[in-house]
Amino acid sequence: MTQILFKNINMKDLHTMKVYEEQGGYQALKKAFAQKPEEIVEAVKASGLRGRGGAGFPTGLKWSFLAKDVFPRYLCCNADESEPGTCKDRELMLKNPHSLIEGMILCSYACRVEIGYIYMRGEFHDLIFNMGKAIEDAYAKGYLGKNIQGTGFNLDIYTHLGAGAYICGEESALLNSLEGERGEPRMKPPFPAVEGLYAKPTVINNVETLCVIPYIVNEGAEKYASMGTEKSKGTKLVSVSGHVKKPGNYEVVLGTPIREIIYDLAGGIRDDNNLKAFIPGGSSVPMLPADQVDVLYDYESLAAAGTMLGSGAMIVIDDTVNIVESTLRLISFYMHESCGKCTPCREGTRWLYQIVEKIMQNKGQLDYIEKMEDICDNMNMKAFCPLADACVSPVVSSIKYFRSDYEAYFKNTPVGSV
Amino acid sequence: MSGFTFSEKQEKEITGILSKYPFKKSAMLPLLTLVQRAERAISPEAMVAISEKLDCSPAYVQSVMSFYTMYHAEKVGKYMILFCINISCQLNGCDKLLEHTAKKLNIKVGETTSDEKFTLHREECLADCTNAPMMRINDTYYGDLTEQRIDQILDSLD
Amino acid sequence: MSDNEVTLTIDGKSVTVPKGTKVVDAAREVDVDIPVFCYHEKIGALGCCRMCLVEVEKMPKLMTACTMDVMPDMVVKTTTDKVEKAQKGVLEFTLLNHPLDCPVCDKGGECPLQDNTFKYGPPDTRMEFHRANNAKATPLSPVITIDRERCIACQRCTAYSERIEQDQGLVMLNRGFYNEVGTFNNEPYNNRFSGNVIDICPVGALTNTDFRFKARTWDLTNTETLCAHCGCNCNITMGTRLNELMRIEARPNDAVDDGWICDKGRWGHQFVHSKNKIITARENSVGGGKPTSFPVFPHDCTIQDAAGKVAEAFKKIAEEHGPESVGFIGSPYTTNEENYLYQKLFRQSLGSNNIDHKSYQDTPGLPVDHYGVEQIETANVVLLIASDPTEELPVLDLRIKKAVTNCGTRLVSLNDQTIALDKYSSQSVQYRVGSEALAIDALANGLARELGEPAPAKDAGQTGISAEDMNTLVETVRSSMKICVVYNPSALSGDAVSRVKRLLKLIAKVPTMECGAIPAAPMTNAVGAMDMGLLPDFYPGGVPVTNQDEIKKQWGENAPTTKGLSALEMIARAEAGELKALLVHRSNPVIDFPGGSRVADALRKLDLLVVHDMLETETTELAHLVLPSNGPGYDEGTTTNIGGRVQARKKALETAQAPDWKIINLMLNALGDETDYQKVLDVTDEIAQKVPGYQEISRKSLGKAGCDRAPVTSVDETVAEQSAGSGKNGNLRLRVATSLFSHDKILDASSRLAHHFLPSTAHLNEKDAKKLGIRDGDTVLLSAQDVTLEATASVNNRCQSGGVVVPRASDWQGVNGLTGADGGPTWVEVRKV
Repeated sequence: MTQILFKNINMKDLHTMKVYEEQGGYQALKKAFAQKPEEIVEAVKASGLRGRGGAGFPTGLKWSFLAKDVFPRYLCCNADESEPGTCKDRELMLKNPHSLIEGMILCSYACRVEIGYIYMRGEFHDLIFNMGKAIEDAYAKGYLGKNIQGTGFNLDIYTHLGAGAYICGEESALLNSLEGERGEPRMKPPFPAVEGLYAKPTVINNVETLCVIPYIVNEGAEKYASMGTEKSKGTKLVSVSGHVKKPGNYEVVLGTPIREIIYDLAGGIRDDNNLKAFIPGGSSVPMLPADQVDVLYDYESLAAAGTMLGSGAMIVIDDTVNIVESTLRLISFYMHESCGKCTPCREGTRWLYQIVEKIMQNKGQLDYIEKMEDICDNMNMKAFCPLADACVSPVVSSIKYFRSDYEAYFKNTPVGSV
Repeated sequence: MSGFTFSEKQEKEITGILSKYPFKKSAMLPLLTLVQRAERAISPEAMVAISEKLDCSPAYVQSVMSFYTMYHAEKVGKYMILFCINISCQLNGCDKLLEHTAKKLNIKVGETTSDEKFTLHREECLADCTNAPMMRINDTYYGDLTEQRIDQILDSLD
Repeated sequence: MSDNEVTLTIDGKSVTVPKGTKVVDAAREVDVDIPVFCYHEKIGALGCCRMCLVEVEKMPKLMTACTMDVMPDMVVKTTTDKVEKAQKGVLEFTLLNHPLDCPVCDKGGECPLQDNTFKYGPPDTRMEFHRANNAKATPLSPVITIDRERCIACQRCTAYSERIEQDQGLVMLNRGFYNEVGTFNNEPYNNRFSGNVIDICPVGALTNTDFRFKARTWDLTNTETLCAHCGCNCNITMGTRLNELMRIEARPNDAVDDGWICDKGRWGHQFVHSKNKIITARENSVGGGKPTSFPVFPHDCTIQDAAGKVAEAFKKIAEEHGPESVGFIGSPYTTNEENYLYQKLFRQSLGSNNIDHKSYQDTPGLPVDHYGVEQIETANVVLLIASDPTEELPVLDLRIKKAVTNCGTRLVSLNDQTIALDKYSSQSVQYRVGSEALAIDALANGLARELGEPAPAKDAGQTGISAEDMNTLVETVRSSMKICVVYNPSALSGDAVSRVKRLLKLIAKVPTMECGAIPAAPMTNAVGAMDMGLLPDFYPGGVPVTNQDEIKKQWGENAPTTKGLSALEMIARAEAGELKALLVHRSNPVIDFPGGSRVADALRKLDLLVVHDMLETETTELAHLVLPSNGPGYDEGTTTNIGGRVQARKKALETAQAPDWKIINLMLNALGDETDYQKVLDVTDEIAQKVPGYQEISRKSLGKAGCDRAPVTSVDETVAEQSAGSGKNGNLRLRVATSLFSHDKILDASSRLAHHFLPSTAHLNEKDAKKLGIRDGDTVLLSAQDVTLEATASVNNRCQSGGVVVPRASDWQGVNGLTGADGGPTWVEVRKV
C-alpha cells in the first residue's frame, strides 16, 4: 500500500520538530525556494491533486486563479472538519502538525501569501496547543517569520478557532467567521481567489490537501500523478466508520475498490452482518446500496454511480438498520446546521424533518414520499449554498434505494432499529 | 452598561489576539471564546465589553454570539459534556448511552446539574467518527464509549 | 453603446443597461417583473429569499436575478416551467410558517407576500403540521411593533441597519429556523431612522405601532407631499382617513432623500391634530403687553374682517409713525408662497423693508454652484463647516455615509464640536467655540497662499487648531478636484457666513476645481425664505435693496429701497419704543431668539403685536391679535430645500379655516391691492414671474419630484476686519447645538417620539470641568443675559477647552435665551450647584 500522508503517522513523537525533521521534514522548502513560485503552482497543477475537503476542485488551478498583482493575499487552511463521518484532518493535525505547516509554507511561497490562518472548528480546542507548539518551533527554526531561509519571503501562520457551526466548513462562511461575523456563506462571485479574506485574494485549502504538497515538491509531480486513475491522482485518506470491525482512517490510492476498503482495511462488517448501505463521501453525498460495493473509490467512478467522493468519509451501515432512522438523523443535522439565511434551506430542512418524524410515528401517508421528493426538488440547487443540496442527498438516495423501509412504516411494520 | 471588565491577564491575552489580525473585528470569536471559557457564559455586560474592544455594536456581538453553538447565554456546568449523536455514533448506539448519561446525572439532555458541575448537550458530529460512540468533555475527547466507561469517566471528574 | 453598457435579452426582449446592473433591475427596464422579497435596490443584493430565481442560458442551475450582474449577450428567461415551479416552491416554503392573518394585518393590501403569492404562488399549501408559533406583536421600540410570526427572515431590515444606517442596531439573532430579527438584549431599536424598516418590510412583520389596527390600507387617502421638519424636505406620503392623519411613509426621490426619511418625519407630524392648534382669529384681551388702541376683533368676526382690521391697523401706524415703525418677522418653516406674499404686503402696501426671518446673519445666493444633495455622491471631498447633519438634517447624514462608504468620497469637517459623522471623516478639525471666523479665515488664507494670493501670514493661532492640521485640511481641499462644502449658517456667529462665501470663491479659483456648496440650515425652508426676500436688505431672488432700477421695475415706484431692520434690530427698536407694530408669522421669538427675557419685554412694549401661527406659543400669549395659520398637513405651496430643489407641499387634511395665503391676500386687498388669487398656484405663478431663479417653477415642472431652481445671484460681500467680539462676560463660550428630537411645540408632550427627548445637558471639556470642580453628572447652572439655566454636566471633550456645548433639548429649557442679541459669540458663566 502506498502511503504518503500516513507513512509514519503512528511513529512516536512525529509531532515534534526533531522527529519530523529526521524523517525528511522541511526538506521540500529548500527545493521550493530554488524555484520560482509559478513553478510550484505548475507542479501542483501537473500532479493532478484535487481538493480533499469535499468539492474536489483541482488545487493548482485554484491557486492560479488568484487575482493578479493584488496584495496582500491570504491563505486559509480549512481545518473545520465538520462533515459527519470525517475525522482524518484531526488525526493529521494531532499526529503530524508539521506536515501541515510545511504544506502551508509551500503554498504561501507559491501563491505569494504572507499570512496564513488555520481555521479549526471550535471543538478542536485541544489541538490548539499541539498546533501552536508546532508553529512556535517552526518560527524558532526559521521556517516561519521574516526572510525565511534568507529568501526574503515572509510568512506568519496563526490558528483561529470557530465556535460550533458546520456551515463554517463552507469556504465563504469560513471567511465570514474568520472576519468575526456570523458564519453565513457569501455571495459568489466574487470568488475567494479574487475577493476573499478582508476582500483580498485568498487561497482556501483543506488540511489534507496542504499536507500533500511537501510530497509533490519533494518527489515531483510525475510521481504523484503516477498513482491513481486518470482523473483522480494520488492517495486519499478515508475515514471508515459505522458498522465495521476496524473503524479508522486509512490511506488508499485513488481507484481502490470500495470492497477492499470496507472488507480488507476496515475488517468487514461487525458481527459478520450483511452490508446494507454505505455513504462514500461524508453525510452530504448520496448513499449507495450494498450491491455497489465494487465501485472504485475515485472521483469519476463515484460520480458515475450517482454519488461523490466528498471529504472521504465512508459510513458503513449494516442490515440491522432501518434507513429511515439514519436519514432522519441526517435531516436533523442539516436542520440544526442550516444558517437560516435562505428560505429553501431554512424551511425545507425543517419540513422534511417533520414529515420523516411523522412517518416514523407510523402516522405517515402514502403520498408523503412523493411530497418529500418534490420538496427535495424545490430545495436542490435553489438555495444560497450547497447545505440544502447536502440535506437532499440522503433523502433522495434513501428513497431511491430503500423505498421499502419507508413503506414499512405505512404498513405499520417498521424494519430494523439501531 | 458596565459591570464587566477583563482581568489584567485577559487584557494581555487580548492584545496578543488582536495582533494576529489586520482588522480587529476578526478577534470576535477569540474574545467570545475567552469570555465563555472564563465565565462559562457570555453575559450582556461582557458583550458590551467586547463591542467596545472591537468597535462594533453590542447587537452585532450578540448576533454573532447567538449564531455559534459553543457560546452560551446561560451559565453552563464546570464540565460541558457534548455527546455526539450524529450518524456514525448513532450507528454505534449513542442514543442509549446518552440516555444512560442523562439518567446517571439525573438531568434531561440540555440541562445542567443543580451543583453546576455538569451540563449535558446533544451534539452534532465532532470529527472522531472512527472512535464512535464518543463524547467531548471540556477539551477532552472520549471515544469507544460504553455505559461502564461513561460511569468511570464521570466518576473520575471532580 | 458605450463600454460601460451591456446588452442582454430577457424574455426575448433586448435591453441595454449600465455595467454592474443586476438582472432584476434590468428586467424592470423592459417591464419584466421578477418577484423579490429580500432585494431592495438601495440596500443591494442579499440572495436570501430565493424568490427571483430565473433561467439563464448556459448556466446549469437557476440563478437569483438579484445577485447576478448583467453580462453581454446573456439570455434570461423568467417564465419557463422550471422557473415557475421554483417560484411556487419558494413561495410554499416562505408561507410554511407564515400565519395567514391577512384579515387583521396592517400590510394587507400592499403586501409583496400577498401580491407575489397571488401572481406566482401555489393556490394552497401541502403543509399539514403545526406552524411555528413565534411571538406575535412585540414592541421593538415605542414606535415599532414586530410580529415575529410573520417575519420571513429576508434580512432586508437588518441589511438596512448595517448598510444604510450603518450602526447595526437591528441584527439577526440565533441561527437557522430560530433566526429572528432583534436588538441587543431586547433593548428598544431607537435609531433615528428606524421607521424605514416598516416601509421596506415585505410582509407585516415590522409595523407602525401608531397605525396598528387603525385602518385598512385601501381605505386611506394618500397624499404625496413633503416632510415639514428639516431643510431636506424629504418626500413623504401622508395617509389619512376621515380627515385624520393615520401614517406617514417615505416616498422615494433620489434627488432629495434617496428613499429614506427620519423618524421625526414619520412620527413628528402629530401636531396637525394638536390641542394647541390655533383655529380662529382672536383678540387677547389680557395679552401680556400693553393694551392696544387698535380695533379689536368682534367675538364672531370672520377671517375677512380680522385680516382687514390687521392690515388697516398696520397701515394706520405706518402712516402715523412712518413705514419704519412697522415690521415683519416671518418664518424659515413656511411655504415660499406665504413668504412671498408677506414680503409683498410689507414692501408694496406698507412701504417697509423691516422684514426678516432669522436671528443670524446670512445673504441669499452663493458665489459657486448650489449643489443638490445628490452631488455629495460624486464629490471627491465633502467639507462640513459648523454642520452636524445627524442632528440637523438627518437624511443628509445617510447620504454622506453612503458617499463615504460606497462612492469613495472623503469627508472632512471644520467644527467647534465633535459630531456623529466624525467616525466617517478622514479629518475632523476642531476650532474653539466662538472662533469660527478665525478658523474659516485660516483655511481661506492657507488656500490663498497656495494660490499665490496675498494673505496674512499669521492665522490659526487663537482657534486652537494646530498649523499641521490646518495645512492638511488646506491640502485636502486644494487637491480635491470636486468639493462640496456643506455649511450651516445658523450655527455661525457674527459675520462668519460671509467668510465662508469668501472661502468658496477662493476654492473655485483652484485650477480645474469643481466647487459647489449646500447652505445647510436645519429649518424647513431656510433657502426659500432667503430666496423670497424675507430679508431687510434683499428683495426676492437675491436682488439687493440698492438695486433701485430693478426694484422699481418689478415692484413699483413706491417700493422702499433703503435697508430695513433685521429681526434682532426690530426687537431692539421695539425695546426702545421706536418700533410700534410687529407682525410675526409662524415664529416664536420669545423662545427662539437671543436676548433672554429682553425679547418678551420688547414685544410687550409694542402698540400692536399680531401673531399669525398654527400653534399656541409664548409669543402668541403676548399678542394683541392672533390669526390662525394652517401649517403643514393643511397648507399647500412650495418649499426650497438645502440643495435648491423646489417641491410641492400638498394638502392632506381639510380644514374650514382659510389658508394663510388667502389671509395675506385679504390683507393686500384691504390695502388696495386688487390681486385676487384663486388658488395657491396663482401665487406660485407670480413667483415664477417675479423672482429671479424661479422662472421655471410651475405645476408642470414641479411634478412629483420637484425641480431645481436656477441659481440666485449673490452679491460681493465685503468682509469686515475681525472685531474682538463682545467683552468677556463669563467663564466659557456657549455653543447651542441642534438636537433632532427637541421637545418643542411641534414635538409636544403627546409626541410618539417622547422617548427621544433628552435632558438639559452641558457638555464640558475635561480641563474646564477640572478647573471648575465639575464632575460628570453634576448639576450645573449656566447664566448669561438675565437668564439662568440648569443642566446636567457631561464631561466628554465634545468641544475644546474654553467652550461649553448645550444641545437645545426643549422649549422650556430656554437655551437660546442665553445667547447674546449682538449675534456674536456668547460668554456664559458655568458653575456647579
